Amino acid sequence: MKIAAQEPTKSRRVRRTEAVILFTVANQLFAIAADSVQEIRSTDSLGAALEIEQQEIPKVRHTVERNHRTYFVVNACIHFGLRVVRPTLVLILRQVRVAVLVDKIERMTEVSAIHALPRAFIGVECRWYRGLAYFEDQVIPVINPLGFLTANEFKRLDGSLAEAASQRTLEGAVQV
Amino acid sequence: MNATDNTNAKSYVLVQIGNRQFAMSAATVSELAPPVRLHHFPQSSPLVAGVIVRRGRIVPVYDVSRILAGKNSPAHRFYLVAARDFGSASEPGAIPVDGECELVTAPIQNPDPTSPKYISGTLTIGEENIQVLDLNALVNSANAGSANAEPNGIESAENRA
Repeated sequence: MKIAAQEPTKSRRVRRTEAVILFTVANQLFAIAADSVQEIRSTDSLGAALEIEQQEIPKVRHTVERNHRTYFVVNACIHFGLRVVRPTLVLILRQVRVAVLVDKIERMTEVSAIHALPRAFIGVECRWYRGLAYFEDQVIPVINPLGFLTANEFKRLDGSLAEAASQRTLEGAVQV
Repeated sequence: MNATDNTNAKSYVLVQIGNRQFAMSAATVSELAPPVRLHHFPQSSPLVAGVIVRRGRIVPVYDVSRILAGKNSPAHRFYLVAARDFGSASEPGAIPVDGECELVTAPIQNPDPTSPKYISGTLTIGEENIQVLDLNALVNSANAGSANAEPNGIESAENRA
């Protein structure tokens, strides 16, 4: 049975053609705007990553230094509530002090439209995603780079870093 | 049916959800979609099982069978696409249904006082009383009751991988 199709064919599209990087986390495909990624590195090259001592935000265990900035390394599996697998790559983001651990880069491509997340979605995904892309018969969530850490989480992580630095200073002074 | 009943009569789509039959106002229904691919991604919205693509639009799918029939929908099912109201705007949403749908015209009667709020009335079709489903009220009640829900669709997405 097919009842009259009354709905318009156009969706709420927020932007036209956009270059995106398609990547996977625990076999789930995501897209992120290419211009929001500064660098892609292998996790093996992150030998200089420092462990951060805090328990409140389990998705962040390390920091990395790039261009005199400290980036918080977010495990995307934990962030999205996916099965935790060993990441092989890290996406260092441009707009925020966040580096994201991911499994694999599928490819870089262009999507013709990013559809706004339907209003039916009311959970944390509204912060995680800018919208949805329909590409090669797949609906792919498009990442909001600002959604990995909230302002409050940045504040707490910065606090942990400052605390660790003062602890090291104190230990250094005791040794001298 | 008497003259008064006729003036009150409206069109409804009868749908099968699990082993139960419900009616939905035909004015809100746009189409019965074939069992197209259900796309999953991590999210935490109550009742939302994923999205389907219909006529170039991305349509959220509400798995209402858990509430209405006490079980998850089977993998291959049709989708009834109906409008959901969001203030002054509306958005299509789909619910998985089993088998054929039927269009009927009948007067609506007040719901049983013990019925959940998402039942807006009943239709008498032959000897059967069929509850009329209010999709907005159903989803809103699920949203209100699942404020601390675990993320949805994740397990399904992994199982599919």
